[in-house]
Amino acid sequence: MTAALLDVRDVVKHYAARRSLAARLLRQSRPVVQALNGVSLRIAKGETLGLIGESGCGKSTLGRAILRLVEPDSGVVAFDGVDVMALGHGALKAMRRRMQIVFQNPYASLNPRRTAAEIVAVPLVLHNLARGRALRERAVAMLETVGLSPAQADRYPHQFSGGQRQRIGIARALVLQPEFVVCDEPVSALDVSIQAQILALLDRLKRDFGLTYLFISHDIGVIGHVSDHLAVMYLGSIVEAGPAREVLRAPHHPYTAALLASVPRLAGGKRSREKLPGEPPSPLRPPSGCRFHPRCAFASEICRNVVPPARTLEGGRVVACHHLP
Amino acid sequence: MADPLLEVNDLRVGFATARGMVRAVDGVSLHVMPGESLGVVGESGSGKSVTFAAVMGLVKPPGRVEGGSIRFAGRELAALTPAQWRALRGRSIAMTLQDALTALNPALTVGTQIIEVLLAHAEDLPAGWRARRSAARACAIEALRLVGIPDPVGRLDEYPHQFSGGMRQRVMIAIALSCRPRLLIADEPTTALDVTVQAQVLDLIGDLRRELGMSLVLVTHDLGVVAEHCDRVAVMYAGQVVETGPTQAVIATPHHPYTQGLLRSIPEPGREIRPIEGQVPELLGLGAQCRFLPRCAVAQPLCELPVHMDVLPGGRALRCVRARGLA
Repeated sequence: MTAALLDVRDVVKHYAARRSLAARLLRQSRPVVQALNGVSLRIAKGETLGLIGESGCGKSTLGRAILRLVEPDSGVVAFDGVDVMALGHGALKAMRRRMQIVFQNPYASLNPRRTAAEIVAVPLVLHNLARGRALRERAVAMLETVGLSPAQADRYPHQFSGGQRQRIGIARALVLQPEFVVCDEPVSALDVSIQAQILALLDRLKRDFGLTYLFISHDIGVIGHVSDHLAVMYLGSIVEAGPAREVLRAPHHPYTAALLASVPRLAGGKRSREKLPGEPPSPLRPPSGCRFHPRCAFASEICRNVVPPARTLEGGRVVACHHLP
Repeated sequence: MADPLLEVNDLRVGFATARGMVRAVDGVSLHVMPGESLGVVGESGSGKSVTFAAVMGLVKPPGRVEGGSIRFAGRELAALTPAQWRALRGRSIAMTLQDALTALNPALTVGTQIIEVLLAHAEDLPAGWRARRSAARACAIEALRLVGIPDPVGRLDEYPHQFSGGMRQRVMIAIALSCRPRLLIADEPTTALDVTVQAQVLDLIGDLRRELGMSLVLVTHDLGVVAEHCDRVAVMYAGQVVETGPTQAVIATPHHPYTQGLLRSIPEPGREIRPIEGQVPELLGLGAQCRFLPRCAVAQPLCELPVHMDVLPGGRALRCVRARGLA
């Protein structure tokens, strides 16, 4: 692998959950949500890493921890050789010019009281990069880059459709000309035909600006389409990672296999589905040993007791499972 | 050929707004045969949910069914009185809603909510209040068992918030199926669920349909779900059905430019996405022209005129001027 633009090692984030009144009166300790349990990943420059997992697996927390929008408890985030975790306030702000994020919900992530041009101009103002006419010109030019017309620049978010709002969110992320963008479920809230437009746009922008993406999604179709490499998360840990095409063709981890088998396929007909029993357990009370063992068809004694280490196989595949084929 | 169980003809539903009448459903015709599963696919605002709200008699002001007919088992529903509607709903046609958390009453136990339906609709309960209640309770336990909820006796007395998302969706299916309806309308039953749980719920609905010999309408935005679970599909766009036919045939050779665009919009590894440009038209003040015209890559002058559903061979139908070349 070439030198990684982003190198994340052993990032841990635990949240203290709220207690009920009764629990507080009984002076029980606060329950802990183990959102990230020692997550490592690398993204090479110009690549898209797809991060897939079901709700509550910690994938969004990871995306935010990389930008220090949530502070990890421990671990290393190195961006272009710089330890992001060690940066002070000023240096972190400067670093954020190079690392941006597109949020999932284009209805909640735009200020309803600012126009599209104002929203896109905010990062330029914060970083003191432009003012006056130049500021507006750069914002409007960025809106045009994402497919909105100058005539729409002075409209408010509620006057746009969901797909158009997501374009504004993308323009805001890209106006600082970052090198790396976390796309946190950027198309999940959109209809299929609009989703396709946004995916095509992100594709084009990546090529035009030489971007590197961490693309977070629960949709295997979307992830398979955008990713060069992909990582599969389950309950705060990455269970499998590797070149996207290889992982999709021949998943090694039983969870990856079950996830792929669960996706309804257009080719249709009845597939022989290994149905995955049960539901993801609560991250408040994760199972012992391998966190996937209660739902795994291959689970044995060791899976119940020992956390499987991540092992690197040929071809850059990483799998955390005691029962590798 | 047997008679259809459900037959909707030229259905029109409008909503009065401050800016005028919005025709959310405009000339929708479709049918479901006994034991058949029909997938209804469309994006937000296509009218798919409103169509089946009308079938359930649940269109409320400012919405109004303005015309067309809905026949269930040979009986016209449009003229039913509220009491007749109540007798039909739950017993003959049942519906599950997208969001199980808001559809269930948070203040009542799951058992209470199932028993309520049984007491209102079930025909074969014994006489006498006490006997009726205990029979209904037994039926409710059986309904939870049927949808695969572990420990149904214990969970009957729990509240909706104590169930996970997938289990809540199962509870709603249990309520819908408690009186063994002949037609189940499932409106986006798995949209809020994770993919592994979605697969479980869809398989459950399919198994129950075969077991109970029921007809199924699956309203969804996901063509993949339809491909796996439905015999036929109806594709809706801006309040109209634009294409219908056997699922495999429609997916293999889509005729309508919208269906084609929708299929090309679905991301698959190693294939370039070719999105449909533009967006769904506003339903207010639509002209008579084809509703897909502004986004259509193969539009022609004829498309400015009203376009009707044309019947094609192989049980298919198409709302496009190009249908004449295909018939």
